[in-house]
Amino acid sequence: MKNKYWQRLLWVVFLALIWQLTALSGAFSKMIFPGLDQIFLALIESFKDGTLIKQIGFSLSIIIQGLFLAAAAALILALTAYFSTAAAGLIDTLTALAHPLPGIALMPLILIWFGSGRTAILIVIIHSVLWPLILNLSTGFNSIPEIYTLIAKNYRLNKFEFMYKILIPASLPYFISGLKIAWARSWRALISAEMLFGAINSLGGLGWYIFQKRVFFDLPGVFAGIIVIIVIGVTVEDFIFKKLEAKTVKKWGMLK
Amino acid sequence: MKKYTAIIIILSLSLFLITSCESGSQSGQKRITIAEQYGLAYAPVQLIKELQLLEKEDPNLKVEWKQLSNTTAIRESMLAGEVDAAFMAIPPFLIARDKGMEWKIISGLSESPLALMTNRDYINSLSDFKTADKIALPQPGSIQHILLSMAAQRQFGAADKFDDQLITMNHPDAMNALLAGREVSAHFASPPYLFLESREEGIKRVLSGREAFGGDFTFIIGVSTEEFYQQQSETYTHFLKALIEAVDFIEQKPNRAAELLADNYDLSQAEMEEYLSWPGMKYTLEIKGLEKFIAFMSAEGYLKENDYQRSELIFPEKSALGENESRIDKGVHQNEE
Repeated sequence: MKNKYWQRLLWVVFLALIWQLTALSGAFSKMIFPGLDQIFLALIESFKDGTLIKQIGFSLSIIIQGLFLAAAAALILALTAYFSTAAAGLIDTLTALAHPLPGIALMPLILIWFGSGRTAILIVIIHSVLWPLILNLSTGFNSIPEIYTLIAKNYRLNKFEFMYKILIPASLPYFISGLKIAWARSWRALISAEMLFGAINSLGGLGWYIFQKRVFFDLPGVFAGIIVIIVIGVTVEDFIFKKLEAKTVKKWGMLK
Repeated sequence: MKKYTAIIIILSLSLFLITSCESGSQSGQKRITIAEQYGLAYAPVQLIKELQLLEKEDPNLKVEWKQLSNTTAIRESMLAGEVDAAFMAIPPFLIARDKGMEWKIISGLSESPLALMTNRDYINSLSDFKTADKIALPQPGSIQHILLSMAAQRQFGAADKFDDQLITMNHPDAMNALLAGREVSAHFASPPYLFLESREEGIKRVLSGREAFGGDFTFIIGVSTEEFYQQQSETYTHFLKALIEAVDFIEQKPNRAAELLADNYDLSQAEMEEYLSWPGMKYTLEIKGLEKFIAFMSAEGYLKENDYQRSELIFPEKSALGENESRIDKGVHQNEE
């Protein structure tokens, strides 16, 4: 585990070095390829005046809200599909129709129906997260060994006990990997939604931050925004999801 | 390790492929890529295209027109070397110039009425805006944003008074939102959207661009990169000549211009004529208000520097232009007085 982090750090330093050398070599104009010093200056500047913190908070709060709503909806829909074949047909059809549809393609409609505020961004996030979650959950439910369901019958578990004690824990690896996909996709949806909708200044998130830096022609600022997104992504992946896996599926011996 | 070596080799090979393609297409023939935008203020540019004025200047010149969605995209493609000449308002030009982009103004293109339009009954002046009233404009740092800030600075002493109420929308979306009357309370519009909106019932003007600026100003200027000016000075001169011809054409033969452009803007000829001769709509090479924009934008922190010489911002006119030479100059000197 430790070794992995060292390795990653080594690679990051190596890549940063290459980046900085390329920037210093002057092969590209500073406007196209800013050095790391400029990027970090821009980053510090943005943190100093407090706007970036607020924007990170705004983005994270929408993402968490979206993930929570989507996860709850996906769980309900996947469970309904598991227990009822009629519902399964409907949910399967909906997923097949909506899953390949990028949220961006829906933007014009969302703009008309929900305006361009927080609700609109939330809907884009839920759309891009809900379908992969349902797919993962359904696959998880359906790949539970037959013997588990038979055990449930032996113990005469009712539907809720079966759900709570067998179905959900047994499909947890699928649920967690679904959440990981959802987390990554929600970021993509959020950033593109914010950049396209042009959120109100006071209510902008990280996508708005990058957009603002872009219209003011501040490339180091754009990179600063990208770095923030990367850092948040890696942190959540490494700490929250790893912890969750260690506490559950790894402890139960379902995942190596 | 073998895998990494293979990946690196493939990557570097494909890089070579890309670069060789580009140099292949750029050498040899003379070419110019121009970014075009929709909007009445760009009418002379459409005329250059329609009348093929550039091809008449130099039959061997390969003219490419590129449609890009907004000023930011145009700026970025100019930085990438994909676009040689483009048209935009003064503030976005200054912002990029201030950040170090090597480009300058070719000439002015048009003056135009701009106005902040509202759909709310209770709004009659800027002081009537409530904090919940959202104002749609193309983007922060656009001329509409700077004009609004100028008005806010004059009236309330705070240029950023409305910054938390801005919503970024392109003009067609903003017009639809304004007409729908729900989310957006006001739109800082330019023609033809301004003309369309002013015809609608319940939509009224709060502030004109002229009031906000405190005088006349050039709305759209032509810009080009230093690289294009230096390396393709002949094509640059052809472009400037075509531009002058187009501007003169509209001023001298507005009816003919309207006839030629009506299809381009999807308007009837009568409407096109009406729009081209709308009070305040003026096609001229003069550059007005540059100094005032610089002074305001540097005072408010949009620009780092404030002592730009005009030679740092405007290309010297080529001697081939003869009598036209002084026409671009004029506006600047007038403004300095």
